[in-house]
Amino acid sequence: MKRSEQFRQANREAKTTVVATVVVILFWILAGFGLAGSDIVIFDTPIWVIGGCIVSWLFAVAVAWWLAEFVIKDVEEDSAAEGGGK
Amino acid sequence: MENLLNLAPALLFLAALLYISYWVQQQSSEARSSNFVKDYFIGGRSLGGFVLAMTTVATYSSVSTFVGGPGVAWQIGYGWLYMAIVQMVVIFLVMGVFGKKISLIAKDIDAVTVIDIIRARYKSDALANMAAIFIVAFFCATMVDQFVGAAKLFEAVTGYSYMTGLTMFGIIVVIYTTIGGFKGVAITDAICAVAMMVGMAILFYCLLDKAGGYSAIMAHFRANDPAMLEPLSRGKMPVSLYISQWLLVGVCTLALPQSVVRSISYKDTKALRQAIIIGTVVIGVVTIIATWVGVLCKGVLTNPDLAAYGGSVDNIMPRTIISVMSPFWAGVVIIGPIAATISTVSSLLLTSSSSIIKDVYMRSLEKSGKSLSNDGVKRLSMIFTILLGFGIYLISIAPPSVIWKINMFAFGGLETAFFWVMIFGLFWHKANSTGAICAMFGGVAAYCITMALGFKVFSLHQITIGITTSLLFFLIGNAMGKMPDMETLKLFFPDKYEDD
Repeated sequence: MKRSEQFRQANREAKTTVVATVVVILFWILAGFGLAGSDIVIFDTPIWVIGGCIVSWLFAVAVAWWLAEFVIKDVEEDSAAEGGGK
Repeated sequence: MENLLNLAPALLFLAALLYISYWVQQQSSEARSSNFVKDYFIGGRSLGGFVLAMTTVATYSSVSTFVGGPGVAWQIGYGWLYMAIVQMVVIFLVMGVFGKKISLIAKDIDAVTVIDIIRARYKSDALANMAAIFIVAFFCATMVDQFVGAAKLFEAVTGYSYMTGLTMFGIIVVIYTTIGGFKGVAITDAICAVAMMVGMAILFYCLLDKAGGYSAIMAHFRANDPAMLEPLSRGKMPVSLYISQWLLVGVCTLALPQSVVRSISYKDTKALRQAIIIGTVVIGVVTIIATWVGVLCKGVLTNPDLAAYGGSVDNIMPRTIISVMSPFWAGVVIIGPIAATISTVSSLLLTSSSSIIKDVYMRSLEKSGKSLSNDGVKRLSMIFTILLGFGIYLISIAPPSVIWKINMFAFGGLETAFFWVMIFGLFWHKANSTGAICAMFGGVAAYCITMALGFKVFSLHQITIGITTSLLFFLIGNAMGKMPDMETLKLFFPDKYEDD
């Protein structure tokens, strides 16, 4: 991969990460504050605690997995040969 | 309750860390004899995914994750847990945004520190020196704060004196950081992160056992303390506090130099990808267990008046540990907070030392045309690291009040100093040194002044003022400065300035 390509890829990853962070924040709001009015209790715990803390964190883990698996790409191959850019 | 049995687990743990960093030193002796700086300060860019994840999380989790935070959770309830979990984004955020780009650039310019990157990007020694001063001042205050917090906890839980605890882990962390260098710090951090989780899991279990089960505690909340079950905690946890915390411990941690430097240290993209997943899992486990324990403490320490527990939330965790566990298990669990403390101190100590030796001293030698031999650098770095660490230990024995003042500014101050300088530096080709200097200085000044005066806008934490001011200063300063030269542009933005 050419050096310019590697940097384009890095920019894409950074932008997608920012979008992913915003999505996690929105999920956290909906799963926590969004459920705060409900009286449902699971395992003796109000549902907004389960949603806002546990499920939101699991969602963040899923997002991290998605970033790692599909967004962040290997750029190493050939980088030693033509990646120096100097 | 003072007996050797409750000191033994922590002592064994510390001895193990000491041995590991000695072993790392033996393993790296060859790499260090050829390029000491690279191996000592950045581990020769060899970290794998697991260690990268664990060292980033361990550096990030400090004594306040285990003492101050849970103490407030005892007061507020589940609202505090809901707030604390915002930290779930910090690992993938810093690695996803900076991870790839910093490592690409660091390989090209052979960077060892974050300041190396800033200097190469902005070509300004004034900016680099200012960054070094902020790092060292804020890090030193934070290290003292960590030592004091952990030593107080140690005293309260084991019955041994403040000095005994401080000396025990203070001296050992300084020694193992000095001999192990970055690789030693990273591996011991990984062990510390595991110790934190194990310690907290044991405490969680004992707490539930003592309180008669989770259902009993929740029934107690419903009957006597319903605010514990509401996100806004009957006004104790306003929405403005949630927004402030999202910025202060969430999004703005992005550019903290002690996290960003880890992007220079990993081996390959595979390590980065693994670390993003493992780090997000582990930071969630640590945050949830530690803060949840704090909430559930209310089932054991049921008096709602903080004065009954010495008038400080910092007393909640030690009192809980003593009341739910035997001295031996208390001695095991205390390893968790000690691990959190020393893993933070080790990274800050090494980064401070690299700022002074590499970024300021070696740079000034270089400018006057002199250079140091590899052995000279080795001697100087190790002597400086141990002296700085020992100095921090001595100050922690009886910290002067100025330390607490600096510490109050430390976390948000560092975020303000580096946030726009790093983001614009790496992602905006027009960013120049005039803008960066204005942003770093103006932002930190605005943040510290408003913090000192207690001035807030919309009752949001002063970090909002710091970040906003820094952004405005950057844009104004940038309009007055010159475009970066072509060499810099080609190095940092080959996607826009290709030389083909």
